[in-house]
Amino acid sequence: MSEPTASPEPTASPEPTASQPGSARTGPGRLLVAIYALFALSASARAGVQIATKFHHAPVAYLLSAFAGLVYILATVTLAVGTPTARRIAVVSCSVELAGVLAVGTWSLADPATFPDATVWSGYGSGYGFVPLVLPVFGLLWLRRLTRRPGPGQGAEDAVADGPARVTSPADGHNPNPHRTRPG
Amino acid sequence: MNGAVPTTIIVAGLVLAGYALLMTIRNRRMSVILLGALGVLEILLLVEVGLIVARLASGGRPASLPTLIGYLIAMPLVPLAAAFWGLLERSRWGPAVIIVAGLVAAVLMVRLHQIWPVIHV
Repeated sequence: MSEPTASPEPTASPEPTASQPGSARTGPGRLLVAIYALFALSASARAGVQIATKFHHAPVAYLLSAFAGLVYILATVTLAVGTPTARRIAVVSCSVELAGVLAVGTWSLADPATFPDATVWSGYGSGYGFVPLVLPVFGLLWLRRLTRRPGPGQGAEDAVADGPARVTSPADGHNPNPHRTRPG
Repeated sequence: MNGAVPTTIIVAGLVLAGYALLMTIRNRRMSVILLGALGVLEILLLVEVGLIVARLASGGRPASLPTLIGYLIAMPLVPLAAAFWGLLERSRWGPAVIIVAGLVAAVLMVRLHQIWPVIHV
């Protein structure tokens, strides 16, 4: 047999197992956090270099890059932590991110003179394969899916035991943020 | 000549991404083969870092030295971070992380060439 001994391709269980309590990082969340971490690193590192070396060249673009980097860092951390509170912050940061990429994308097309150098979000993220435009959408979809069903480890068994009429996790069951602030 | 090592890294990264995508579609977990491929990619990236450092040591300077240094630090971390993050996952989404790592390695080589076009190593 040419098969290596260590069973190189173990088949995964069909459902992503939500073994970690209250975590948004298992399953598709694993991929989301990886991509968010990538953008957190690249956006903030790039902004840091630009602000440190040639800030006067395009101050608006570089400050927006830095802001984008901070939002990506916040989204990465809160998605990875995945507690109900962190998830709510993640929803806000993904929303800010979506608003940011749409606003800055439109701004950069309407007023190119303000953006002599590109940001992560200019041209709706065209310099990054439009990933910045798609990423917050997937982030919000994933967070919505998490809050729809009983949170993993947050009483999935309790919910079944209580029967279908009661939703047992009030912290998760509705859209929070009555006082959500506008981005920018 | 466009550089044998960067070209190899681009090809290796794309092949790795394609294989990891196949494993994700086929609902497989992280495997020894994927880890080995990540190890090969890591070695190639370290070789590239060494070649660039040698070029810096011999007096070459890119347009933006801080950016290049940032790339030198980030490049070897990509396969390591992907292996760590992918191994924590016991589902098809482990290999899905490796797709990203392969693509990032390829993109980094293209961007590196834009930062410092004289890299013919």
